[in-house]
Amino acid sequence: MKDLLTKINNIATQKFGAQYAEARAQKIDKTMLTLKEERVEAAKQGIESGVALRVLVNGAWGFASVGSLDVAILESAVSDACRMAKMASSRLKTPIRLAEAKVVNDSVRSKPKKNPADIQMEDKIKTAMTVNRTGLGYDKRIKSFTIDYLDLTGTNYFVNSEGSSIEQDKMYVWARIAGSALSEGVFTFSREELGSTAGYEVFDEQPPEVLGEKVAKRAIEQLSAKSLKGGKFPVVLGPNVVGVFVHEAFGHLAEADLALAGGVLADKIGRKIGSDLITFYDDGTIEGSFGSFKYDDEGVQTQKTLLIKDGVVTGLMHNRETAQKFSAEPTGNARAEDFRVEPIIRMRCTYMQPRDHSFEELVEGIKQGYYFKSFRGGQANLDGTFQVGIQEGYEIVNGEVGTPVRDASISGNTLETLNKVDGVGKDFLLDPGRCGKGQTAFICDGGPHIRVKEVVVGGSS
Amino acid sequence: MAVLKKDVMLSLAENTVAKALKKGTLEVEAYVYEGQATNIGIEIGQVSKTNRIIDRGLGIRVAVNKAVGFAYTNVIDDTDAVDSAIANALSAAKASKPDPDWNGLPQKKSYAKLEKTFDDKIVELESEELVDVASAMLDAASQVDKRVFPIEGGVGSAYISNAIANSNGISGFDKGTVIECSIATLAKENDTVTPVCFEFNASRSYEVDPAWVGKEAAKLAISALKTKSVETKSTTLILTQFALQDLFAYTLINAVRGDSVQRNQSPFKGKIGQRIASENLTIYDDGLFPGGLRTWAFDGEGVPHQKTAVIEKGVLRNFLYDNYSAKKEGKDSTGNAGRAGYLSTPSIDTTNFHILPGNRTGEEMLKEINDGLIVYYLQGAHSSNPVSGEFSVVATPAWKIKKGEITHCSRGVMLAGNIFEVLKNVSLVGNNERQMGQLISPWVQVENVRVIGK
Repeated sequence: MKDLLTKINNIATQKFGAQYAEARAQKIDKTMLTLKEERVEAAKQGIESGVALRVLVNGAWGFASVGSLDVAILESAVSDACRMAKMASSRLKTPIRLAEAKVVNDSVRSKPKKNPADIQMEDKIKTAMTVNRTGLGYDKRIKSFTIDYLDLTGTNYFVNSEGSSIEQDKMYVWARIAGSALSEGVFTFSREELGSTAGYEVFDEQPPEVLGEKVAKRAIEQLSAKSLKGGKFPVVLGPNVVGVFVHEAFGHLAEADLALAGGVLADKIGRKIGSDLITFYDDGTIEGSFGSFKYDDEGVQTQKTLLIKDGVVTGLMHNRETAQKFSAEPTGNARAEDFRVEPIIRMRCTYMQPRDHSFEELVEGIKQGYYFKSFRGGQANLDGTFQVGIQEGYEIVNGEVGTPVRDASISGNTLETLNKVDGVGKDFLLDPGRCGKGQTAFICDGGPHIRVKEVVVGGSS
Repeated sequence: MAVLKKDVMLSLAENTVAKALKKGTLEVEAYVYEGQATNIGIEIGQVSKTNRIIDRGLGIRVAVNKAVGFAYTNVIDDTDAVDSAIANALSAAKASKPDPDWNGLPQKKSYAKLEKTFDDKIVELESEELVDVASAMLDAASQVDKRVFPIEGGVGSAYISNAIANSNGISGFDKGTVIECSIATLAKENDTVTPVCFEFNASRSYEVDPAWVGKEAAKLAISALKTKSVETKSTTLILTQFALQDLFAYTLINAVRGDSVQRNQSPFKGKIGQRIASENLTIYDDGLFPGGLRTWAFDGEGVPHQKTAVIEKGVLRNFLYDNYSAKKEGKDSTGNAGRAGYLSTPSIDTTNFHILPGNRTGEEMLKEINDGLIVYYLQGAHSSNPVSGEFSVVATPAWKIKKGEITHCSRGVMLAGNIFEVLKNVSLVGNNERQMGQLISPWVQVENVRVIGK
């Protein structure tokens, strides 16, 4: 494989004068299941292989993707990519350059206790069925239960024109579980995700019975929840919501491509923008975490990147192109979903560092507010407006957590909100998730419980 | 571009069915997909990237004693890879469990002749010309005002074809083209950054107006620079197509899917023939709409596309079905089996979700509003409750309408409510129809929506 990919890169550099060329080949096997209630909708198995070619010619990018390892097809694809890049370069004002990266020659093997590729389809169906049966059996008001399961195993090959050559195993196990309940005309919905790069042993840590019950319990509890009043309130956010806040509200703004695109963090590096209690990391090194890997899709080793320390912005997440523009080091955040797309800056495991408050201390001073425990969706805008939807929340009245509330969301301006965090818990939890930025990336996020003095809460009553 | 010919695609589908039948299964379906796309990308104010993507593949669905298995491969020029995909589909079916509600694959029906879904000019486009289109769009945006930053966007042309065959004799081929140009801009002044303002053109024929796209996106961004807060209250809203598409995708569309209804996930269960929305609202799912972005001869399992009345003058008429969910009720599929290329099994999706236009222009709609908001983009629509239809989202941004005029922009405005209440409160539908993804719609005016100001 190395020889083939080197040969293709050489065509780009020698025949078309590319400044840089990289070839990523992938061979992947996937197993997918969807079970609705006690019905297996389909058991699915997929095989994919293909090559992504990226070249930098006269300061412009050319990219080609083909589902083939055939030399002639790859030669024609790389020639196409070079010609198109050359054409686009005619309109360039600022040619693209890349920050230096270490030349790497390495081979990375995954070492799961239980390799999903070795588990029989029957066993995977059994695990998924247990999740659904537990959920449906929890309460007769549970009306539907769906589990989507995916495992992916395979190998990525990376070769660039600077002499790097990396062979890296890929292994993901993922599931999404959703349940709905109906009683007296009230509909509720609850979901959870599970994801790991460790192996199928993730189901030993989170047994299917526990997963099914967790989702069902929330859907039932939401039946008696009330719609809440919109307005500004103090809130306590659980680790699951804090994770999404760190990822959506701050993380995306700290992606250097979005900072360059006009995001509000571009000129804030080294400046204090939030309360002393705020320290965030984006970390690709946590073993088994859904966002972890050793090398990114530009061949740069992953790292634990400090984004903000005690309220001061310390750095951004970079690929080689943005690192050059900011005179920074690449941080190993360039990720491509597969060989069909180009690597772009993506988060890994993004979290807030815990401090010293207990949950009781966070809640006790709040006269009228909310405790938001679990999220459903979140989104951010470059102007710093964020929104996080809530699937599980409770009223706080006179320092006590009370009645559940339904379908709320919180919103605000990220920088203002970071200044309003006035209590950070000592607990810590990470949750796996998926992030959409044109492509899907497997990520992880989390943190401790926190208290925010004031945030806009959306509700319809 | 060199594309796979109709007979190559069809014979791969048909031969795969024949081979699988010999391996002992009675029910098999083969779906062959080819997509070729060329994109010219704009990043941080310049045309700086290009890509060319060729994606082909084969998806095989089999049923063995009512247990369904599926396998796919993107290696289709290699007999061994196709054979092992057939074997994988069979082994998956054998590992799976019988489904008593499985009533077979669809039967053969004839397909309609389509209009405006394929344009030779798009297939033959040279990438030089696409670079010109991208540059024209970029220049138009930059020329509006020097406070505008075009941040990303591009021009893409695509050719898509698919072939399907099944053991009931279905054999179909269809091809289509799309061209799209889009730009995202924001405006910056001192310390103020506006939300991202986006415009686009998308068409099945080579008909795009890049200068209009660039100019409109830039004008919106500039108008979002000066902001004032709005008060918390219930108010009149004009929802533009951007907002409608986002909101409907995560709420209403779930509620009209036949499988959601069967699984008690839709408040519309048992309400066919009943009034569920304002009489101003008529919605068709029209898979044959001329030039529609989702117009194809057949759906993901070879069932002909059709035009289905969903809501007529506020009365619920039909749900949307694929073959499985339709047969479960003894009905016929409405041709709504969606499919993510060759990578997935079919699942129910809209084709072109068409909100029928009224007779008021956008300008007339604005003029008649004494106090309200117009909303372009929403943030967080995907966090809506897909079952109950409750939403709590941010308008990024909203523009205030006072005495018939747009007076100022407001940031961080939250909108909260229930989509099924919104449908009842539609007071007016405009005539300014446009296509956006699966939606074909004019502006829609809604009364009494809860707005939480900042």
